[in-house]
Amino acid sequence: MNEITIECHNLTKTFGGLRAVDDVSVTFEAGKVTALIGPNGAGKTTLFHLISGALRPDNGRIFYRGRRIDGLPPWRVAQMGIGRLFQDVRVFGKLSALDNVRVAFRKQIGENPLWSVIRRPLVNREEQTLTQEARRWLTFVGLIELENALAEDLSYGQQKLLAIARLLAAGADVFLLDEPTAGVNPEMVRSLLALIRRLAEEGKTVVVIEHNMNVVMEIADWCFFMDEGQIVAFGLPDEVLGDRTVKAAYLGI
Amino acid sequence: MNYLWHILVMINIYIILALSLNLVAGYTGLLSLCHAAFYGIGAYATTLLMMKAGWGFFPSLFIAILLTAALSLIIAVPSLRFKGDYFVLATLGFQIIIFVILYNWVSLTRGPYGIPGIPIPKVCGIEMSTVFRYFLFSGVIASICGLLLWMLKASPFGRVLKAIREDEIAAAALGKNVPLLKMAAFTIAAAFAAVPGALFAGYMRYIDPTSFTLMESVFVISILIIGGAGSFIGPIVGAAFMVILPEALRFLHIPDAIAANMRQIIYGLLLIILMRYRPQGLFGEYGFE
Amino acid sequence: MLWQLLANGFVNGCLFALTAFGFALIYNTTRIFHIAHGAIYTAAAYLCYVFLVQLNWSMPLAIALALFLTGLLGALTELLVYAPLERRGASLLVALLSSLGLYIALVNLIAMIFGNETKVLRPGVEATYHFGSVILTRIQLAQVISALILLPSLLIFLRLTEWGKKIRALRDNPTLTEVMGINTRAVRLFVFSLGSILAGTTAILSALDIGMDPHVGMPALLTAAVALIIGGVGTFEGAIVGALFLGILQSLVIWQVSARWTDAITFGLLIFFLLFRPQGLLGQRRRLEEVMA
Repeated sequence: MNEITIECHNLTKTFGGLRAVDDVSVTFEAGKVTALIGPNGAGKTTLFHLISGALRPDNGRIFYRGRRIDGLPPWRVAQMGIGRLFQDVRVFGKLSALDNVRVAFRKQIGENPLWSVIRRPLVNREEQTLTQEARRWLTFVGLIELENALAEDLSYGQQKLLAIARLLAAGADVFLLDEPTAGVNPEMVRSLLALIRRLAEEGKTVVVIEHNMNVVMEIADWCFFMDEGQIVAFGLPDEVLGDRTVKAAYLGI
Repeated sequence: MNYLWHILVMINIYIILALSLNLVAGYTGLLSLCHAAFYGIGAYATTLLMMKAGWGFFPSLFIAILLTAALSLIIAVPSLRFKGDYFVLATLGFQIIIFVILYNWVSLTRGPYGIPGIPIPKVCGIEMSTVFRYFLFSGVIASICGLLLWMLKASPFGRVLKAIREDEIAAAALGKNVPLLKMAAFTIAAAFAAVPGALFAGYMRYIDPTSFTLMESVFVISILIIGGAGSFIGPIVGAAFMVILPEALRFLHIPDAIAANMRQIIYGLLLIILMRYRPQGLFGEYGFE
Repeated sequence: MLWQLLANGFVNGCLFALTAFGFALIYNTTRIFHIAHGAIYTAAAYLCYVFLVQLNWSMPLAIALALFLTGLLGALTELLVYAPLERRGASLLVALLSSLGLYIALVNLIAMIFGNETKVLRPGVEATYHFGSVILTRIQLAQVISALILLPSLLIFLRLTEWGKKIRALRDNPTLTEVMGINTRAVRLFVFSLGSILAGTTAILSALDIGMDPHVGMPALLTAAVALIIGGVGTFEGAIVGALFLGILQSLVIWQVSARWTDAITFGLLIFFLLFRPQGLLGQRRRLEEVMA
């Protein structure tokens, strides 16, 4: 039985008159890829916002490995191990690919301004170790050749791989991936999917928002269907995708 | 010859101002309009300690730096909650408040009358009494500040600041304590701005609030924009350019009254043109895109 | 004494309200922090000076022409400076910096041509009117009356007319407005012209009272901006409320503290609002998400 890492209880978030997330209770398990599907505006990204701390829920609670995380600022939640891939990627444009990954490592002594001046030799050694690690991750995602390229000069798909390398460097335990395959060309999608499966195999909690049903069928171990802010169906991917109401909701848009 | 050393002293002063502002505006992407306020607090704090407490230049400077840093924290807390326009406006507000205090707290600062007769800084007993000596003195101090700021910028600290500038949401999503880092950048920049304040006071031997106005903050921003933000050489080139420009105008025998206005017109037009065609300035890495 | 102060405060508040409304027209719809508004303000007063004092034309003609040219100047600013930036997708910070450059260039051009001394638009002592214990000069009355006529008219204009609706649409949702086929560029030109004319009106009214120098624009602009934030960014009524509030508050400060500290109090109030009520008196929380870090 896999460990439950994220628990959401009765989450609600309203904007103006709109209930983006309506009394949602879900759990996500380590070692599994869970897909979150549903029509646009169903509240999937909002749910990610709530878990990652970008938004506060109006109601409800969120737990990560037993600790309450709703209401914490995003950087606190991220420090605890919850990593996020954004729909619009969000790489650090004017930093090189290598720097994008290097900046992701946690607990860097060099990020403390005082130490970066006074304990220079120590910081330099830390940098050497970091750089090696960063190169390992870049190789892992296949971007090592482009380590010195500016992130803004990379293709969309390459930026996505870079963002994933960043998450790996940050030592994330939970991966919230928002449409990881959107806009990525087919060969890269293949590597991306293999990568996602590997993450789960290594015990990470992976939650994927996806619109591509083939992707869902290929990598998801479990599936939630959201519509109008609520979880309408859940189960094994082929069960959920075969469900009549789900089909109607998707085709009825 | 003295003229040349004088220009170089002013360039040294503005280099420190520009490089320190670069940390917060160029590297972290926060357009602060209160840098002149910190410059002024540094000048006044150093002056008052030297004259009222009888301390030497360096001890006074040290305390002035701490005081400026402490005051910048007070300004940072409300301002850093916002981004973009509102942050700029908050810093503008503080700039004006500090100016009004310097101008009106006459019992402490002598207000518009200014403080004359500031003692000349001494190094190991030698007075920096000639312009040439002050040029060397300010040059050494500027180099030290430059070196420290370079170390900060070339470090992981500088890198994470750039990341925040590029995308602070993504930086937070990686677990970086964005509010704390912004505050660190802001406060460090303010602390460094106190140093040229002390240099200015020791050089002019007279200070009054009119040297530390909103327009002075704008001037330092202009240096950054023209020379180029985000890089290291940009602010240095910008400082030299902006200090030399009015002197160059003088050589064209333009009457002083008009020269002042003409200089400003050139700055204004340069800002507009650069923002339109080359936001990263002459040597910048980062344009306020 | 108190009544006189309140009356003066109210009169100042009326003037602030006109400029603030003009600033709000521009800021609410384009989100551009139009610092150059202060320069256009100054230019209006000096244009009037040229027509009224130097060319000796009649008052109505001078004012009308000055305001017309001011509106034109505002439109030119949008056309030549902001629109190209907007097309490029440049950030608002870039627009702010350009605006700053424009302010500096324009104000110094005026100073270069006319000199830095205070100029008077009309010499002589003003006729005064007594209202109980309060004395107001004729020009102060004109200021109040202008505000009382213009401001409600503008509010009605925004609420009821076609153009008013377009302006509010642009404020609420720029992308949607574009998609719906409304010519946003025309709306922008319109708000810049109208906003500038309002600033010009205030400038001329103020210059007729206390004269002007090239640097009156910055305080006017800053007061307008603070008034808008206190009143509520995104609203138009808020600009008026904020302005009146500031006008009266400044009078009270002069009475209780000293005239020297008015600026500090004004900006202290700004910081206070930014800290505790950033949406202002009449604004909505929702807009905050755009500006919170």
